[in-house]
Order: sequence, then C-alpha cells, then structure tokens
Amino acid sequence: MKRRDALRNLALITGGLVLVPSCDFSKKDILAAYDKLKVSSDMKQLLAEIADTIIPSGETKGASDLEVQDFILVMVNDCMDEDAQKSFTKGFKSFENYTINKTGNKFGQLEPSQQEEVVLSGLQEEDEDYIDLRGFLGTTKRFTIQGFLLSEYMQTEVKPYSLIPGDYQGEVLISSLKSEKING
Amino acid sequence: MANLNINAKQDRTYQAIVIGSGISGSWAAKELCEHGVKTLVLERGKDVKHIKDYPTTNMLPYEFEHRGQITEEVRKENPVVSRCYAFREDAQHFFVKDQEHPYVQEKPFDWIRGYQVGGKSLLWARQVQRWSDFDFEGPARDGFAVDWPIRYKELAPWYSHVEKFAGVSGNLDGLPQLPDGEFLPGYPLNVVEKHFQAQMKKHYGDSRHMILARCAHINGNFDYYAQQGRAKCQSRNLCQRGCPFGGYFSANSSTLPWAEKTGNLTLRPDSVVHSIIYDEEKGKATGVRVIDRLSKEMEEFYADVIFVNAAALNTNLILLNSTSNRFPNGLGNDNGLLGKYVAFHNYRAGVSADYEGHLEYTTQGGRPTSGYFPRFRNVFKQETDFLRGYAAGFSANRGPYADQSGIGMELKENILNPDKWGPWRIGSHMMGETIPKESGYVALDSNLKDEWGIPQLRVNVDYDDNDEKMIKDYLEQMTEMFDKAGFTNIRTRDDHRAPGLDIHEMGGVRMGKDPKTSLLNADNQLHAVPNVYVTDGASMTSTATQNPSLTYMAFAARAAHHAMKNM
Repeated sequence: MKRRDALRNLALITGGLVLVPSCDFSKKDILAAYDKLKVSSDMKQLLAEIADTIIPSGETKGASDLEVQDFILVMVNDCMDEDAQKSFTKGFKSFENYTINKTGNKFGQLEPSQQEEVVLSGLQEEDEDYIDLRGFLGTTKRFTIQGFLLSEYMQTEVKPYSLIPGDYQGEVLISSLKSEKING
Repeated sequence: MANLNINAKQDRTYQAIVIGSGISGSWAAKELCEHGVKTLVLERGKDVKHIKDYPTTNMLPYEFEHRGQITEEVRKENPVVSRCYAFREDAQHFFVKDQEHPYVQEKPFDWIRGYQVGGKSLLWARQVQRWSDFDFEGPARDGFAVDWPIRYKELAPWYSHVEKFAGVSGNLDGLPQLPDGEFLPGYPLNVVEKHFQAQMKKHYGDSRHMILARCAHINGNFDYYAQQGRAKCQSRNLCQRGCPFGGYFSANSSTLPWAEKTGNLTLRPDSVVHSIIYDEEKGKATGVRVIDRLSKEMEEFYADVIFVNAAALNTNLILLNSTSNRFPNGLGNDNGLLGKYVAFHNYRAGVSADYEGHLEYTTQGGRPTSGYFPRFRNVFKQETDFLRGYAAGFSANRGPYADQSGIGMELKENILNPDKWGPWRIGSHMMGETIPKESGYVALDSNLKDEWGIPQLRVNVDYDDNDEKMIKDYLEQMTEMFDKAGFTNIRTRDDHRAPGLDIHEMGGVRMGKDPKTSLLNADNQLHAVPNVYVTDGASMTSTATQNPSLTYMAFAARAAHHAMKNM
C-alpha cells in the first residue's frame, strides 16, 4: 500500500494520472473467433474441459472459471497465421476420436486423472499422423498458461501486478527472498 | 497558391517556423519561445497531449486483448513497422502504418516513423551518450565523407545545456571517447555486470570498458524537474506508452509544454509540410506551404527563420520538394549532394551467453537502462582492416522460472510458485558506425505520390564491405571477452536486418566547411539559404557509434541561439 500512496502523491505532482477505461475483452471478437474457426458449442465445451485438465480449479480458480477457452480462441483467430489456424482446427477436430481410440470413451465422460493421461499422451505423440493433434494441444497449453497467469483474477487477487516495480537492486541473495506458497 | 486561407497574411506570419515537433524540433522551439520569439511549430500528425493522450499508459497486462501481441492481420498489413521491437499492442497507435505512408525501397530499408506531436521522442530508447573528438575528427582522420565543421569543444556547452534540462542519469566515467556530462545519479549495475566490468579491467587494462549506459531518465534533482511537471522515473519500463510521470525525456512532457508556457508557441498539428517557399528577390526563404492532413487544403505560413526538423529522411524529402527557379533540384542544393551520403547504424549482430557464477544472487525491481561498451576499436589509431568501430549494449539478467513440463495441479502449482533458477543470461548487441557514401541516397520518385500529393521517397541505402568486416570483428571480440569473463554457452547471431530498423538514419543534408561539398555550415544553416536551419539527423556528416538524439538536441539548441543572435 505504501507504493500505491507514493504513486498517488506523484500523481499530484505530475498533474494527475488519468484513469483509463479497461479494454474489455470484446464479446464481438469472441463470437468472430467461434465463427471463423467453426467452433460449435460442443467443441467450446470440450476446449474448456481440456483447458481445465491443463489448469484445474482447486484452492484457486481454474482455467474455465476464467473463461480461458475464449482467450485461446481469440488468440488463435487473431494472432496465428492461416496455416497454423488450419492445423489447430484439424487437431482440435481429431481430439475426440483420439480420446475414444485411447480410452473407449468421450473426453467429457472420463475421470480427471484419465483426462490428464489423454492430454499428456497427445502432447507427447511423436507419430507424424498426430502432428496436428500435438500442435493443437501444445497451442492450447501455451495459451491456457498465458490466459491463466495474465487474467484479471490472477493479476488483482492472487498475485497482484505492480505497475511500479520498485528501485533496482542488482545483488539480492536468493536465500533472503521471502515468498509464501500459493496453493493451486 | 490555391485555397489560401481568408486570414490575413499577417495572421499567418511568425518570427520563426519549426517543421517537426519531435526531439530536435521541440528543442529549437523551446529555446526560441523562451527567448521571446513567436514560433510556429508544424506537426504533420495528430496532437498528443502529455498524459491525456497516453491511452494505454496505466493499463494492466490483462487489459490488452492479446496480452501485448500484435495481431496477424496488423502484422501482415505492416511488415515493416512490425519488425520494430517496440511495435506492440500497447504502443502501436504511436507508429506509422506501412500502408498509410508508402515509400519506395530501391534496397530493403525499414523506415520506422512516428507521426504525431512529439514524434519518436515518445518511443525512443532514451540512450544519450555524448560524442567526442574521436568522432568529430573521424572523417578527416580516416578520409571519408567531409570534415566536420565543428569540434567537441563547440558542442560541449550545448550538451550540458540539454542534458541538464532533459535529465540524464549516468556515472562520471572519465573516458576520453565518451565525455562525461551533467549527470543525475546513475542506476546500479548488477553483480554479474560488475564482475564483467572487473574482468575487462583485468584482461584489457584501460583499453576496454563496460560502463553504465547514460539514459534520459530523472533520477535526482527532483525539485528542478518538478518545475516541468516531471517526476522521478518509476522504472516501469513502459516508456513507449508515454510516461504519466514524465520520468523520461519526451517533447510532450518537457520541451513543448515549457515552450507553451511562454505564450510564444503556436503548435499546429495535422499540418503536412509540402515545401519551403523561396523568394528569389529577397534571396531567402520566406515561409512554408502546408497541406492540412484532414481537409487536404493548402495554406502558407511565413517567418524570418525556418528550422527543418522533420526527422532525417523527411527533412531530405521536404528540401528536395522545395524547388524554385533558383533551386530547381531542391532548396540549397547547388552541388547536387542533397539526399546523398545517407548512413545509419549497424545493429545486425548480437552475442548471448550464460554465466554459472554468482548463482546465489538475483535482481529485484526495474531499471531503465543497462550496460554499455564505448567504442574501443580504432579509437586512438587505426588498428584493424576496417574503418571506425562499434559500441555495444551489455546486460546480465536473472529471475526465477517455472517448470512447465507437466499438466494438471502439478503444472498449476509450478506456475503459481516459480522456483527454478537457471544461470545468468548475458546479452550484447552491436551499434556499428557506417560510412556515409554518395551511393547511399534518398530521392523523390518522379511519379508516385502520397495521399497529400507529395512525391514518395525512394530509399537506397545498404551495408558495405566495411560493415561486414566490422560484424565479424564484433562477434569475434565479444566472444573472446565473454570467454575471458567465464561466460559459457556463447551464441553469436547476425540477423541480417535491413538498414533502418536501427532507427538511426542520418545524413543527406550534411554539415561541412565547403559549400561545394556540403549543404550546411558550422551553424546548421543552409550555405545557400542561411535563414533555413537543419538540426536533426539529416545534418549529420558522419554517424559515430552513439545513439544520436542527444547530439541533435544539442545542435538544435545551439542553432536556435545562433538564429536569435541574427534576428
């Protein structure tokens, strides 16, 4: 809080900080992503389940609590080139069959531990036949981690982000750093 | 001209006109206004008011839809500006998009531009190292370009003048090749940077140095900067968004509001300068033709003195486009050299490494600068098979990371509690002097025009053999120094980037002693049209290795005082 007070005092000196309205995660873009990537509501549900398998809910919220599935689709739609998008979609569409082949069940019917096994095995596939599947899961994992860590919930409630990092110290003993463990 | 405003000519007449509101133009304007000169500053882009027009400055990472990343659509439409390290979701609105302002690349050239009040001073890397006589005497000693018409001692007081006002943090290093200045307290080097510094001393004696880079950030003398409405740099490292504290120097936070306070400044955004008006009877420039960015209507403005500070290549463009019977090939261009001898800084190569020492330490907090290698090649005498040399950036970084190999609760707990410590990561990049050549030029295209009917610029600038040799030497020398310092896993790179991405393009309207071989005199006046001053990158006779903005500021302040003496 001391830092925040300092910030406020400085704001007075500099003539007042302007509060900027946050750039809302636009619903239109989310819908556009579903549309362009041809994601049905079943697939959206599936993506949420995969994201939850990667980062489950526990003492702190999990991926789908933060609607990370929407973030994944917006990033794939807006920030990946067409070839990568095609590969992502292809891998996505093959995932349910892959699960059934592995376990005899649909992903949503599996126990969490079985879901983890399927996702882990997909991430580790080396066979050329599964190149899109592996890519899809890798991309999903990457954006799940990013969407989780850079979510409003994480950056305000769990590990508050500071716009002011403090003065530089170039010789800090790691053993002197105190950190309380955050439980998942 | 058509479309003249109904305002009386008198209302469009000032004592001075400054073309460009960026780092050098704002300095000319500040000096002129402060001394009572009614000054019109013309800016081709939109207005950007300090704080008010920094829409992203306090945004948190989650407030950026793509968490900082540029979208594929924007990247595809803007391949040139997308290569710039600072063109990210948080600052993209301050950069010129490729399609909006096309130019012709006779050879690949990444022209990075910021068209708004303040120009690129909002976006710059804020590194401010002085030149020395080893730089000003370079062309004469080594036989390239032409001799600079001035020496360090003539610029030194003006370096002091601009450093004090802008705010420069640094250490007094006592190096003849990188003179000390008016410094606010420096930022700390970290434990590994200090180790490297000591290793350089041990292995190279006094011939090679690694120092703290001097940067235009406020780190002391706070009451003085409070007069400008500026405060201590908070080390946010979000400078490219515009700083609400005014912690770093920008035209928007410092020189322009200072000029405005005098009541002598008229700032006119959205004013695209077409050309400078030359009056043949009077034998001098009398004003400028301006096209309104939005309405596209042309207006004229008049003044006794005109400063051209449109940023290096656009200053060339305006002068080339300022034709008259007296100057059919561009204003002041009697010798045909206008637009020629354009050069840049060679940023192609870098070296990175790991360091397995001091593993019990890390760093905390933020710092707006890093380490710096002043040039050590060919400084006191010629010693290699290439001319000139290079400076280099240097930094060591360390922080915890998380094991992200698994999934599920194990992954979640890992990323919530990053606790892995790798080695220190060491990085360096070269900043090489390039030799201005007649074959490195900009010119007007005879057909293609921009949206405002102004000819498009053709750019023809390239690396040469000297640059290739210098890259090789930098990679060898830095590898050797890293090795001697005990660094491991040393990796070299040459990214073969096009010129321009350094954003240090210079020349085309060079200074010199002789009107036959240069465009500007020792006071930055066009030899043939002395009431026109050029004090931005276009005026540079050679490029040295230092980040050039500080030198443009010093030239602009010095030239403004010269102009006032003759008013």
